[in-house]
Amino acid sequence: MKRIIKLILLLLLIPIGTFAQTEELSLSNKAIRKSRPTYIGITMGFSSSKYRDFATSPLFYSGAPIYFGASRHRLDEKKETHVGISLSSGSYSNEYNRHTAESSVQVLSGYYSQLFKLNKLSSDKLNVKAGGLFTTTANLRINESLQNNALGIELIPTLFGSIKLTKDISRKEEKQKKFIFIKYRLKERTRNLSFNLNIGLLNSSLRNGFAYAGQSSILNDAKLFDRYEFKMFSGFRMSSALDYTISLSNKNKVQLSYLWDAYKTGGELDQFNMIMHTFKITLLFNTNNK
Amino acid sequence: MKSFTLILLSGLLILTSCEKIFIEKDLASTNPQENFEYLWKECDEKYAYFELKNIDWNQIKVKYQAKIYDGMSEDSLFKVLGGMLTELRDDHTNLISNFNVSTYGVNYLGQDNFDWRIISDNYLNQDVYHSGPFTHNFIDNGNIGYVRFGSFTGTVDSTNIDFVLERYKDTKGLILDLRENGGGAVNDVFSLLSRFVESSTLVNYSRIKIGKGHNEFSPAEPVYAHPYDGIRYNKKVAVLTDRGTYSAGSFTSLATKAIPNMILIGDTTGGGLGLPNGGQLPNGWTYRFSITQALTLNKKPDYENGVPPDILAFFDWNDRTKDEVIERAILELK
Repeated sequence: MKRIIKLILLLLLIPIGTFAQTEELSLSNKAIRKSRPTYIGITMGFSSSKYRDFATSPLFYSGAPIYFGASRHRLDEKKETHVGISLSSGSYSNEYNRHTAESSVQVLSGYYSQLFKLNKLSSDKLNVKAGGLFTTTANLRINESLQNNALGIELIPTLFGSIKLTKDISRKEEKQKKFIFIKYRLKERTRNLSFNLNIGLLNSSLRNGFAYAGQSSILNDAKLFDRYEFKMFSGFRMSSALDYTISLSNKNKVQLSYLWDAYKTGGELDQFNMIMHTFKITLLFNTNNK
Repeated sequence: MKSFTLILLSGLLILTSCEKIFIEKDLASTNPQENFEYLWKECDEKYAYFELKNIDWNQIKVKYQAKIYDGMSEDSLFKVLGGMLTELRDDHTNLISNFNVSTYGVNYLGQDNFDWRIISDNYLNQDVYHSGPFTHNFIDNGNIGYVRFGSFTGTVDSTNIDFVLERYKDTKGLILDLRENGGGAVNDVFSLLSRFVESSTLVNYSRIKIGKGHNEFSPAEPVYAHPYDGIRYNKKVAVLTDRGTYSAGSFTSLATKAIPNMILIGDTTGGGLGLPNGGQLPNGWTYRFSITQALTLNKKPDYENGVPPDILAFFDWNDRTKDEVIERAILELK
């Protein structure tokens, strides 16, 4: 009987011990997370973009929309977490055979990514991380020349496999230089150059149905996504980002970037293709003084 | 650093060339044959009324393809493609270029049955109210309200229609003149109908193309007119129609068949009960054609050829002192 009581007491003590250990671990994870430099990013830029919606037209529409974004970044040598939204807005047009058609296009994207260091591929100067990125892109297009098919909306949710190479190109010590007879100094600076490649693993789309326009308006029951169809494991998407990041003495950063994003929908419905080249500048404000 | 940069730039170049995975070749073309094939195929897959109108679209292809040749002028190509579309006998079917628009002209299938000057001179005496899209006044010694609704402009609202119905609430009946009303905003249809029903009323069915086959449609979905929570008119309404009553005008006319106090007087409407889409050809021209079918309460698409009136009435152009259609309506409402 006493042995049984001792055994029961021992069994009861185990969770307490475990809880203490877990609490110790979670404090540690929390501490690690808090120690990771965190930035709020404000982005502005412009894009060069074109799209083709086979459901309504075989012609390309091109434009140079402006680009805005807001984001939060938590990153260090071992791990990166990025979350943000962006909006691209502008007018696209097709000019062919003395005909011009215009489409106003708004592209709203939300994304979340986590990247983890690959120790075996990384070195002192080159940091290699891999992970995943989830992006949802919503396009809203209005092309009056297409009459009742003027409104086009696509939702493109994509889960990417992601790899990022970051090269430290900092100048660690001051250098003395001379140009002809003019002497000058190159100060210490912290810079890095990174390249991020994302390949769509789970591609999907929500898009207009076969007839494109729905009939809800003539049913006296207007609906926004009337007869839209969701297709999973359909289509393909890739994106990449080239970032040049300048660290400032106040722990903030300035980042110049070139983004390339391309996708096409799949399935039986007429395809939608889009390619965007975006040039942007991001001000990264350090929020935790790390 | 240099090798890393080189690798990066090479990678970017490779990615840019990968665009071909996403973007196939540019299909912009002024080639007459390519544009013909494109338009014919789009219609073949999505047009809604081949069977009802007994149209052999393959035969029409043979007929019009024979008129296509390399080097033909844009005007000639337009005539061929526009001509092909008019075989659909549908004024919701148009080819639009920067120099011409093709039409069918359904209103020419019957005689002209409307002249505003005759109405203005002999019934309204140029004394009218303009309330939004409605032009109206009392006729027949104040016994009847006459409301001219010339176009579904999308501007029917509670203010203008409340005023109209309040003004004629004590009349024996109302004339709603939809002659030569080519249609427009669909929401106006239901804003109007809501004033003439006392309960949710099934007025027609509708179905939409869902596949490439000529008879691939969605199940027929019901269309209800719901009563407006406010001023309504429940006395007799004579709705005047002619061949120029089209699209939203025809939808309204179709709905009156389900509303007991509404009666159609005049000529058969022009039809246009299919909702038109919109698209673009490889040469930049745009087009539209019908992709839905409006069905009667017994789920037939026949009224695409025109909603027949309950009472036939035609203009007598030898006597320009009266409008025979209005006269017949007055007789019916008294």
